[in-house]
Amino acid sequence: MSETWMIAGAWIAAGLTVFLFSFLYKDNPFFKIAEHLYLGAGMGWWFQVYVYNILGPKVWTPLVNHDWMVLIPAILGLSLVTQFVPKISWVSRYGFTFLMGYGSGLAIPAGLSTDFISQIGGTIRPLSMMASMTPWAIFNSLLVAFGVICVLFYFFFSVEHKGHFKKVSNIGVYFLMIYFGAAFGNTVMARFSLLYGRFDDLYTFSASKYLYATQIILAGMIIYFAIHGLMNRGKKQAEAVN
Amino acid sequence: MKLIKKQIPLAIVFFFGVLTLASYYVPHKVSVDFMEMMNKWENIVSAFAFFLGLISLFYSHYHKISRKADGWGYSLFVYIGFFAMVVPAILCHGKLMGAAGQTALGWSFSFMYNPLSATMFAVLAFYIVSTAYRSFRIKSLQAFVLFMAAFLLILGKVPLGQIIWDSVLGWTGAGVDQVIEWIMGVPAVAGKRGIMIGIAIGAIVTSFKIIFGIERQYMGKD
Repeated sequence: MSETWMIAGAWIAAGLTVFLFSFLYKDNPFFKIAEHLYLGAGMGWWFQVYVYNILGPKVWTPLVNHDWMVLIPAILGLSLVTQFVPKISWVSRYGFTFLMGYGSGLAIPAGLSTDFISQIGGTIRPLSMMASMTPWAIFNSLLVAFGVICVLFYFFFSVEHKGHFKKVSNIGVYFLMIYFGAAFGNTVMARFSLLYGRFDDLYTFSASKYLYATQIILAGMIIYFAIHGLMNRGKKQAEAVN
Repeated sequence: MKLIKKQIPLAIVFFFGVLTLASYYVPHKVSVDFMEMMNKWENIVSAFAFFLGLISLFYSHYHKISRKADGWGYSLFVYIGFFAMVVPAILCHGKLMGAAGQTALGWSFSFMYNPLSATMFAVLAFYIVSTAYRSFRIKSLQAFVLFMAAFLLILGKVPLGQIIWDSVLGWTGAGVDQVIEWIMGVPAVAGKRGIMIGIAIGAIVTSFKIIFGIERQYMGKD
């Protein structure tokens, strides 16, 4: 990659980053341009992923080698496109039903083994190893088991929540709150790590090597907002006079 | 017509659902091969499902441009963004790296798609914080517990938070990282397990309803 391309890339990356951040000030055409570009680029990226990783090796190559079995999923897939022709849109059901059937058939064992049995197993297993555990580990294991039971009580709607049942389900709410709080905290930190990454890139692209891309684009944006603000103020004053 | 429009599609769901389910529990080469083939088929049909979405998006923006609707000029950028990724992909056969380093697709990915994607999610950081400021009003003990869990998680993951913790609560002997580890490993796990067990039961029941044709909303009307 030549230096010119690197500089051009830096300008585009810095420009798009600043355009998207400009929404924090207010909605503006630069943000909308970047937003629509993101939509298009995202679709373009996934289009080429599907073409070069799925349709090429899994449809085109087998067909060239006379493996006609791939025609079945290809036809099922093509049936989905009939959604755009109202008269024959029912044909798309064939593709959708295949996806639903396969997905459902897969979801049952996956849900049973990973989300159901292994979660119950993970809760119960430590209780069978108490003899070799420290008092603190025993307390933690019992607390997890107690919390899981309370949360399950909270989600059990076949009985009205009152009396002792309500007390237990209320304790379950506290465990849920801790989980939601922890999940929220983790999400915030993940988003902030992305933010640091963007700031780091903007800092990198502000170097002389990249012809001060960040500073120039930022200055351009500030000038745009200032002129736009002044023109709007002039318009409002003219309207008020009229 | 009812046979073609309704009964055969329902039979397809039942056939593939039961076969996939059975294959998972049958340790035989035939079932393993069948699962591999089904996985390949699902990838192919999913690719066409993506094209369905792509055509729909293009049609909607084309419609906007042809009618010159409000903000139609922005719709042009959807096409520009799309071709900015697809044309380089065609030129370098979908490869991000070549013998001479980064390809044109790699360049488009690094300097266009990646900054756009990362910034879009980074902007959400501001909105999450502002939403938290507005919604984390501690009105009950439950809300306080939620706030404390989130606060400790955030505090413990930044150096400044660790310094504050050590200077204020250092005498307890427990570091903030140990407290976070305990929250994530004990009470949060209890809450998460309860939810996961509930989701699993819901997913299994819904899957059975789909396989046996009780749930058929995905087929649409008519």
